[in-house]
Amino acid sequence: MTRHTAVRADPAPATPSPAGTPSVPAASVRVRRGRPARARNPVRAALPVAAFFAVLVGGWQAVAARSDNVLVPDVPAVWTALSDTVTQPLFYDSLGATLLRVGLGFALAFVTAVVVGIAMGRVEFVRRFFEPAVLIGLTVPGLVWALLCVIWFGVSLTNPVVAVALSAAPALTLSIYQGTRALDSELHEMAYVYRFSLVTKLRFLWLPSLLPALLSGARLGLSLSWKVIVLVEMFGMSSGVGYELNNQFAAQNVAGVLSWTLLFALVMAVLEYGVLQGLERRLGRWRKAASI
Amino acid sequence: MTTNGAPAEDAGQRPYAVLDGVGKEFFSARTGERETVFDGFSLTLHHGELVAVVGASGTGKTTLLHLVAGLEHADTGRITLDDETRTDGPPGPAGPSGTEGTGHRLGVVFQQPRLLDWLSVRRNVELALTSAGLDPAGASQALADVGLAQYADRYPSVLSGGQRQRAAVARAFAVQPELVLLDEPFSALDQLTARRLRLLLQDLWTARPRTGLLVTHNPLEAAFLADRVIVLDGRPARVHAEFAIGLPRPRAPEDPRVFDHQTEILAALG
Repeated sequence: MTRHTAVRADPAPATPSPAGTPSVPAASVRVRRGRPARARNPVRAALPVAAFFAVLVGGWQAVAARSDNVLVPDVPAVWTALSDTVTQPLFYDSLGATLLRVGLGFALAFVTAVVVGIAMGRVEFVRRFFEPAVLIGLTVPGLVWALLCVIWFGVSLTNPVVAVALSAAPALTLSIYQGTRALDSELHEMAYVYRFSLVTKLRFLWLPSLLPALLSGARLGLSLSWKVIVLVEMFGMSSGVGYELNNQFAAQNVAGVLSWTLLFALVMAVLEYGVLQGLERRLGRWRKAASI
Repeated sequence: MTTNGAPAEDAGQRPYAVLDGVGKEFFSARTGERETVFDGFSLTLHHGELVAVVGASGTGKTTLLHLVAGLEHADTGRITLDDETRTDGPPGPAGPSGTEGTGHRLGVVFQQPRLLDWLSVRRNVELALTSAGLDPAGASQALADVGLAQYADRYPSVLSGGQRQRAAVARAFAVQPELVLLDEPFSALDQLTARRLRLLLQDLWTARPRTGLLVTHNPLEAAFLADRVIVLDGRPARVHAEFAIGLPRPRAPEDPRVFDHQTEILAALG
């Protein structure tokens, strides 16, 4: 989502797609054209981002200076809290615990979603069976999963893992199901007449076809996971980023709350944009070649 | 490419693919009614013979090819390839999931290239070769035969439409097929490219004749490439007319005799 918006705001907007083109390919065309433009002039592309942060920090400082209230710490205070936090081993321990929980829960959700999503795309009965579950799962707020899991599983590792899995799986399943539906039946006919083995089909036909859906599903699932893990750790855990946030909140340390939040957001952004998007780009090389 | 074994004429009368009383019905999604595409349809392809099937759209040309390829199952009747039954009686499990007929190597060129866009052209051919139990090293020669040697390591998406279809032709012939199926292979290309590819196909065929079924709506293409042309018509489809094209290969596309045959076929289609 964010990436599309960013590209659309490029100084050289792509030409409008021809009429009648479905919206999804149109969006990908835009993304494709946006990339070389950004590569040509990185300074110009980074400028709006830098401007945003300058406005944010400057605005914050202005508000803090005007209000002169301990509940609105100024930028130097937040910066001090930030550097204090990153120098403590506690930060790394908490971050490690949180990442482990998210990782396990996300892995559980991913495996479930791949199996259920593909089955839903291939078998009508399975689709009808799981459709209500996916819809209910999508509408139940993460907070509810967090509360229920704390009640059921207490402080064990099961609690955050199941809560994360429950909140991420429905969106992931939906994404993979839609990816399965979009599979090209013509290529399956080709694979049939050339007698591709099951392994060849999985490796060279299914996996590459599903890859965009898997990756976009993974990004969506991860962003949902971060949101719910903090809640679970607040209510039911005695460690992790959410727990430390709650401590800072209880101590009415706004700078502490802000610094923990900023650092956590930074790690997540690196994971999502650095790792997942890098993976997407690497695996989508053949697609990039098409725009030359 | 080597020419081995007997010339095509000697084996000409040995049946290779036989459709015997084949029936096929579809549920039309539009009207919700049953439509009978074939009813008691019979056709024989002889060894080393290239048969072209022409007819208006919707007469069941592609269905015929799919039945021979095993992509669809006949409701009634039987289809045998080289004396082995492919489909007998009631339809098997729907869709291209059956395992029958695995003994016959097929080379198929579809209207669209149907390459795996995320693999290089060479890997596309290699996959078909390894799946056929052949040495993947043959991919280079197959691509050189269609004039794509220098594009072997490119992704299909950077090739032109004609080059992609060349790659599809290379894949079809690389697997050393016993039966080549061509489903409107050049109709998505521009005139000039299509003409070049027809000549290429003739070269490949002359180098090593196989048994082939060509489905096309282009009478000139049929007259130029085929040994025998069958005109399909009606619903259920039946053989409306049949022409033997006795011209020796290589044929020139401008050969007036090819045009004469085209005129005959056109008249039968009209």
